[in-house]
Amino acid sequence: MPLWFIRGLRRGVVTTRYPARTEESARFLPTPPAFRPHVLTSQTADLLVAICPSGALRRGGDAGDGDVLRYDVGRCTACGRCAAAAPHAVTSSGVWELAATDRSVLIKKIPIGGES
Amino acid sequence: MTANLVSTGEWRAAPGAVTTFQVASPDLEAVTRDLANLRLADMFGQDAGGGTVLRMVWANDTPGQAGYVITETPISGDEYPALSDITPAAFVEECEMYEQFGIRPATGKPLNRIMLPPRGALDAQLPTLGRGPESEPEEVRAPHTVGGQAFEFPFGPVRQVGVESLYYGIVTSGEEVIDLYLFTWHKHRGLEWRLQGQTPEAAIFYAERAEGLSAVATGWALAAAAEAVTGTRPPEPAQRTRAVALELERLYNHAAAMAALCQSTGLTVGQSAAEIALERLLRLNARAFGHRYLFGVITPGGVTRAPQADAIRAELPAAYGEFTRAASALLATNSFMDRLEATGVLTAAQAKELGMVGPVARATGLTADSRGVPLGPYREAASVNVATATAGDCLARFTVMIAEAAESVRLIGEFLDAGTSAPTEAGMAAPLPPAAGAGLGWAESPRGEALAWLALDDAGRITRARLRPGSVRNWRGFDDACRSQNVFTDIPIIEASFWLTAAGMAR
Amino acid sequence: MTAPVTSEAEQLRNTIARQFGRSLHIRTLDTGSCAVCEQEIRLLAAPHYDLHRLGFFFTPAPRHADLLLVTGPMIRAFAVAARKTYDAMPGPKVVVATGACALGGVYPQDPFTHGAVDAVLPVDVWIPGCPPSPLALLHGLGVAVGRLAEKVRAVPFTPDDDSERTVVSG
Repeated sequence: MPLWFIRGLRRGVVTTRYPARTEESARFLPTPPAFRPHVLTSQTADLLVAICPSGALRRGGDAGDGDVLRYDVGRCTACGRCAAAAPHAVTSSGVWELAATDRSVLIKKIPIGGES
Repeated sequence: MTANLVSTGEWRAAPGAVTTFQVASPDLEAVTRDLANLRLADMFGQDAGGGTVLRMVWANDTPGQAGYVITETPISGDEYPALSDITPAAFVEECEMYEQFGIRPATGKPLNRIMLPPRGALDAQLPTLGRGPESEPEEVRAPHTVGGQAFEFPFGPVRQVGVESLYYGIVTSGEEVIDLYLFTWHKHRGLEWRLQGQTPEAAIFYAERAEGLSAVATGWALAAAAEAVTGTRPPEPAQRTRAVALELERLYNHAAAMAALCQSTGLTVGQSAAEIALERLLRLNARAFGHRYLFGVITPGGVTRAPQADAIRAELPAAYGEFTRAASALLATNSFMDRLEATGVLTAAQAKELGMVGPVARATGLTADSRGVPLGPYREAASVNVATATAGDCLARFTVMIAEAAESVRLIGEFLDAGTSAPTEAGMAAPLPPAAGAGLGWAESPRGEALAWLALDDAGRITRARLRPGSVRNWRGFDDACRSQNVFTDIPIIEASFWLTAAGMAR
Repeated sequence: MTAPVTSEAEQLRNTIARQFGRSLHIRTLDTGSCAVCEQEIRLLAAPHYDLHRLGFFFTPAPRHADLLLVTGPMIRAFAVAARKTYDAMPGPKVVVATGACALGGVYPQDPFTHGAVDAVLPVDVWIPGCPPSPLALLHGLGVAVGRLAEKVRAVPFTPDDDSERTVVSG
């Protein structure tokens, strides 16, 4: 037992200060994508919908939304396929604190505003 | 062709090769006997116009001859020879084929439930890959007598906190484990059914998630199967990138197994030390490949991401240092060692007979390691030093994992020095032309050989995908290891030393 | 889509914050995951994260649990066991669905799986990720007990530098 005790003391505290302080290692975590509405064309939107393996992307929202990409952050696995397919239109959001108390809060409507 | 197969030993494959033989149904028993001194790596069916094609995948582990032999046998009726009487390793697959295709051994041997829940448990029947079973599996358990006094109770599927759902039945005379049998149908997601009609690129997403803790290995096996069909060779730097990811996967799994061993023996201090190593390795994975569990690295034709080699070189020594410090402290802690020694003993004969793979098999003295099958980057490395032990107990498995971790660090260094992918297309992936055919892929997951077999149509879409993670081979040895001299409190220790997953078994 | 917040739900939130804000017992439930979510959950008790310092504890007994942390796509063959675990927990209780599988991703509703946990259990908090890292889980648990703010509501997931396209005149 002394062996463990001494080694533990020598190593020191490794515990994160989160949530009181930010955690540095978090910047290497994969995060869901962000989409550029003014670059996102109808054609690109269709490509992204087809390529998402998790069903996180759909064309069209509710009545009155207009032409949007319906993006369910909850279904996203941050696999990166959409970003690889359309790097000009898709970037990393950098957001990993994603917990929601309302499921609808995770549904984002991205306007498809790009010109073909 | 079949007569030659039996008499001339034509099946002795060239090293690294996969040879497929058509075997007519009447010859299957004789051919199986002839091949039975090889290791049965997998057995599965495929629906074929009113009948079923039965495939057996045999692994030749002999150094210098390492390769695979596949036999294909069309079964037109409901029955085929009792293969598990010749090679006990076939039993679980016989049960599985009955559930999926409705074919069974001609002896009328009773079969167990594997993937499908009891009839009536669900509102609708689950889809199967073929005709499906006529009637429910008999579910006969191994006979036992303990002076006539034993009781049997189910355990799970909701078990202790933070572990997967797993349902098993324990037969006990009080403290001693007489028998232990597993049900995995609570986690059966129907992955092979789901992959039908998909491209290999899309299928990787699911293959990684068949057994997430072996994402690299299972993904690599599927990608290699697609590459075998299309005759694609990934660029050399991409192959070494894959190998780096595979060794990082092995490292973090062995750290996790060490933490689980400590938890199962109640050594919380050791558990914390192992978890520190594990967390550092996972953060290293995120730095190196953008994901703590290395999802999304493998793609058919190569890799999707270039590794951050500098980050690996900078951080790996410290992370591995945590691992070895914890391991050496554990090997000096008698109370810990006492719980592992002579616990969950498997003999080499048992491991061989059941076709077991990975550190569990190598801890009994067997030497097979699918990194030794000479394809890909491992042949360039000074050959992989395969770690073995002979006692076959939990301690032996632990020492094998420690030795494998050291070897993984060495290999990562070698592959980084030889050059991994740079983020230019040429070094990342070769394109796969759409091609019809069938192919086998494999990779050594942290828990043993992972296999995948694909049949593709002219458009390059999957008509049959077979996923066989390493866990599938080794769960059948779990009940053997738990029996006899072991008691209830040994079961978590044995489970930790096997370090399998319920997800990989159930798919 | 969920119903608008009612005063009853608000009352529950306040009860939870009062009772669970300082000490919360968590039971985990795997409805069919790939095993990686479980590994991240186990690491919550590991030295780097140490959920105990925040007043969270794991308990194997549903009877002692306040919060059910659920992974996996709710495989149909498992739903009975899931329901029994939930029913065995005395109220007030909170259900947190964690991981893309549990939130409806990865596996759609099909013959094998319901596709999402909220098809069978009433979910209070959803934590995205594949897997959600221990940090993301700590954030989600903090949100579940009302100690941390939910952030994702205000995130548009369009980058700040997405500027207006210029209209070519003439």
